[in-house]
Amino acid sequence: MFKPESLPTPERSIRLRSLLHSRSRAWLLALLLGLVTLLAAATLLALSGWFISAAALAGLASVGAYGFDYFRPAAIIRLCAIGRTAGRYAERLTSHYAALGLLKDLRVHSFTALAQQRHSNRHSADTLQHLVGDIDLLDQFPLKVIAPWLWACSLTALVLLFWYLLAPTLLIYAAPCLLLALALPLLTVRRAKVLAQQDTDASTQRRTLLLEPLSMLTSLLLWQRWPDNINRFSGQDKICLNLQLRQQLLISRTALLQQSLLALSLILLLWQGSALVANNLLSVPLLLAAMLALWALHEALLPLCQSFIALGLSSAARDRLNRLTDVSAATPLNKPEPAAPLCLNVNRLSARQSGALVGPSQLSFKLQSGEVLLISGASGSGKTTLLQTLANQLAFSGEISLNGLPYSEWQLSNTVGYLPQQADLFDLTLAQNLRLAAPTATDAQLWQVLDDVALSNWAKSQPLQLDTLVSEYGAAVSGGQARRIALARLLLTQRPVLLLDEPFAGLDPATTAHLLDTLLARQRNGLLLIVSHQQLNVPGAKQLQL
Amino acid sequence: MKARTPKLTSPSQPAQQLARLLHSQRKRLNSALLLAVTASLLFILQCYLLAGLFAGWLIASQQGIPVNSAQLLNTLPSLALCLLGRPVLQYYREHLSLAASQHIRSSLRVQLLAKLADAGPAKNQYGNDGSLSSKLLEQVDALDGFISRYYVQRYLVLITPLLLVCAIFVYSPLAALILLVTAPLVPLFMILLGNAAAAASQRQLQQLSRMSGRFLDLVRGMATLQQLQATERAAQSVANAAERYRDSSMSVLKLAFLSSAVLEFFSALAIALLALYLGLGLLGILPWAKEIIPVPYQGALFILLLAPEFYAPLRQLGSDYHAKAQAEAAMDELSPILQRHAWQHPGTQLLTLNSAPHISLQQLHILTAEQRQRLAPVSFSINSGGRIALQGPSGCGKSSLLHALLGFVPYQGDILINQHPLTGLERNHWQQQLAYMAQYSSIAAASIADNLRLAAADASEQQLIAALQQVELWPLIQKLPLGLNTVLGERGRGLSGGQLQRLALAQLLLRNAKVWLLDEPTAHLDGATAYRLHQLIGTLSQGKTLIIVSHQLHGLDWLDQVIRLDNPAISHIDGAQYVQA
Repeated sequence: MFKPESLPTPERSIRLRSLLHSRSRAWLLALLLGLVTLLAAATLLALSGWFISAAALAGLASVGAYGFDYFRPAAIIRLCAIGRTAGRYAERLTSHYAALGLLKDLRVHSFTALAQQRHSNRHSADTLQHLVGDIDLLDQFPLKVIAPWLWACSLTALVLLFWYLLAPTLLIYAAPCLLLALALPLLTVRRAKVLAQQDTDASTQRRTLLLEPLSMLTSLLLWQRWPDNINRFSGQDKICLNLQLRQQLLISRTALLQQSLLALSLILLLWQGSALVANNLLSVPLLLAAMLALWALHEALLPLCQSFIALGLSSAARDRLNRLTDVSAATPLNKPEPAAPLCLNVNRLSARQSGALVGPSQLSFKLQSGEVLLISGASGSGKTTLLQTLANQLAFSGEISLNGLPYSEWQLSNTVGYLPQQADLFDLTLAQNLRLAAPTATDAQLWQVLDDVALSNWAKSQPLQLDTLVSEYGAAVSGGQARRIALARLLLTQRPVLLLDEPFAGLDPATTAHLLDTLLARQRNGLLLIVSHQQLNVPGAKQLQL
Repeated sequence: MKARTPKLTSPSQPAQQLARLLHSQRKRLNSALLLAVTASLLFILQCYLLAGLFAGWLIASQQGIPVNSAQLLNTLPSLALCLLGRPVLQYYREHLSLAASQHIRSSLRVQLLAKLADAGPAKNQYGNDGSLSSKLLEQVDALDGFISRYYVQRYLVLITPLLLVCAIFVYSPLAALILLVTAPLVPLFMILLGNAAAAASQRQLQQLSRMSGRFLDLVRGMATLQQLQATERAAQSVANAAERYRDSSMSVLKLAFLSSAVLEFFSALAIALLALYLGLGLLGILPWAKEIIPVPYQGALFILLLAPEFYAPLRQLGSDYHAKAQAEAAMDELSPILQRHAWQHPGTQLLTLNSAPHISLQQLHILTAEQRQRLAPVSFSINSGGRIALQGPSGCGKSSLLHALLGFVPYQGDILINQHPLTGLERNHWQQQLAYMAQYSSIAAASIADNLRLAAADASEQQLIAALQQVELWPLIQKLPLGLNTVLGERGRGLSGGQLQRLALAQLLLRNAKVWLLDEPTAHLDGATAYRLHQLIGTLSQGKTLIIVSHQLHGLDWLDQVIRLDNPAISHIDGAQYVQA
């Protein structure tokens, strides 16, 4: 029905207004169908009322069936009945289709935006869980804000037009209250926005107050500190519930006031209508139709009362999403790539992980193509921080230069390969995981690299071989194996500079020796930096003790 | 298929648990229902008044009698009462429902927290801390729709149509019959709708969580993807997953919406049919009743005004149905915690330890709640001040043994502390004299001093510094600009894994406990750091009775004994020898 659009380019941050742009035709159709449905429902009610009243009038006047055209209204009534049913069905399908499309766009958008950030690894799993939730909140904007307002305004305009056509004085009496009822929810905009923001903040606070005691439950119990921690959480929970109550009260009170205004409008309509009927300016069946049209409007106006709470939640979600996916400065891509032979020069380098209290400071060393640097030191001495800095993932002070030019002047993404201690494997097959690094690698190349990291025997013993599913939680893969799969993947990229963080942890001496030989052979013309707490026997290697 | 199996074995379990939860708030919910029924009655009255008003006007205008405002004035007070009364009743109904929902949710949270506190270190059998907190927060909140809307609606869907049919019957049995003919379809469609919607939303939820899982999986590994320059391919994979989700859920939604569309169709058809029947009847041209007016105008209008309301509650129920599916899914997640068999440590004896105690285990045997074996019977004893390690394959019950000593787990056999059975001791009092340390330390996002004072609330600054000196952290902390008041990040961010465990050791020192129970305190540390921490523990724990569970014995040469739990005949190996072997 709709062509899948191409992936959006995430240059700008998300704006609520532009949420409808990417799927404009689908949204337009959904909005139109919704309007048709509501119109059909209103017409069905008003026309049925007019029909039986007119019929009663004709019956009383003994005009009977002969003077009264009952075929046409009956046909329209049937049409409206079908229109309402089909319209609602089609509207729900289209709007869900569009909303799911929007969900897809937003996911791709935020994914691409995150991908453009240089230091995205700083986000905790919890933050990312929120990201997913926030994306899901954004489809409330078209569904709960735009659509209800569009429908309510159009339908109100049509009802007003109908009244005007019947008798302009009807409009004068009944319209003000109706318009007030329509506009009333606008008064809640600011309040709703504040409440939604408070709600978001309070929920975050509540989550922290729960997560922390939970993570140290046993100690807190032993130290008799659990009750007061949980009391603090319960206090925050009360605040959250209270905010929820206030949101509900805002909606309920608006609805109450709106319904009262509509009731007043109805009474005024009847009051003026009876005067018009008395003067023979309006027939009773048409007055009934006018009243029923107003009656049918209730269904369209009621959803407006909660629209601004939905708006507040959507914009809070949008803000968080934009903050998280903020692309501060796009790096220009026209920098040169360094060519072999390489010469790495580090001078008085200091760096810190974000939030860390200590880190490596004032380090200097020099490394040429074909050389190996073995880095050792106590836990917390900054080995990992050093590797991350050399991988161009952390800000630093001092100098790092490659072939005489500072790091920042080079395009390094095809030059430097970094293996972190916690290697990420994805919920994909072994081959798919490896091919992330080299999409065009043949099976033979994959087997070769698995052999290099001493995993080919293991892979051959798996029933599905290269198609074995490896995930973080996959039972088939141990921590050491996961690390070696990640190393194999990194080797496939054939980067001249390799930074490896504890690649031999948990390996027996024979495997370690095999792996080390492979690495030395592969990096014969490149640079190899290894962080390891084990004593490694590499003749001619430079040593760095932190 | 996997996810559906528990459903097949216990089909009504989440529903029953939900019903039990609602019990405490029955008064509020029933009052809400009463208000809703009253609103329905007011609606009937409102229609009756309007029908009478219009009938009066119609007859007057037909007979040429001038319409005066007296009739409207007479009706006005009661009409205004109906028009304004319904929103007011609705307002209080919402208020009561929300109050009920909030009470239930917050008491459920308290209940869940009590169960978790009861489980102690075994809480992680129900999920990691992140998923536990999302259970306690999001999943409990997911019950809201069910409590505040669905419960009342479920009764309203029967009561309101019944009231309306009774009112209509007074005027026209045939019209009531028309509605009743379409009404059988009500229970039928409730079942249809229920099954279709439940299955649909269940499948949709699963699909959604799978898609979110894929997205999360890729975003978490973003650094790696950037490294490999594979972000574009990954973005394509995200797009494909979302596309597949849309296609599959659209086909499910088509069915789910169809059932409510059929309902909608009947409601529209019933109104159209009624209008035609009543209209043609008023014209006197019904084929079976020519020249007769079966239902006079007032009755006809009354019926016509009521008819749309006949189906309204059912339509509402249809759209609230996902609230029920959501609540049942949430209950499914929560029930393992709620159904945890509460075990109360029975003892009352206050045993104050003045020195490291002698601990003796005699045929200690631990079973799970399902009577599966968690720890095979084991006997050994530790002298006062003795220090031992427990080893064995994962799942052999090492941690459970510690949990039993902590007083969190029921057991068979005997644990004797200085010859006093553990079950005879008052639990809180016993626990206060224990020091416990696990893989992840108990460090909060607070200052270093506050973290230490969690363990010992009234320790002086001097005492804190002394403890930090003992764990060799003071030189580092001394150099920080804020010293003891340096604030650590979430989960102790700012310090390395080894430093955090040292800080945890400082907490233990401040407690001055005589019994130390350590559960793999170095499992996540690299070899060298683990070695140094093990050595430090050896220095600091002299004179304590200590049990450490550890995979590696690297640096534990100070132990008196290593006990292997996989061997049915417990082997006692000298610590030093074992390390050399």
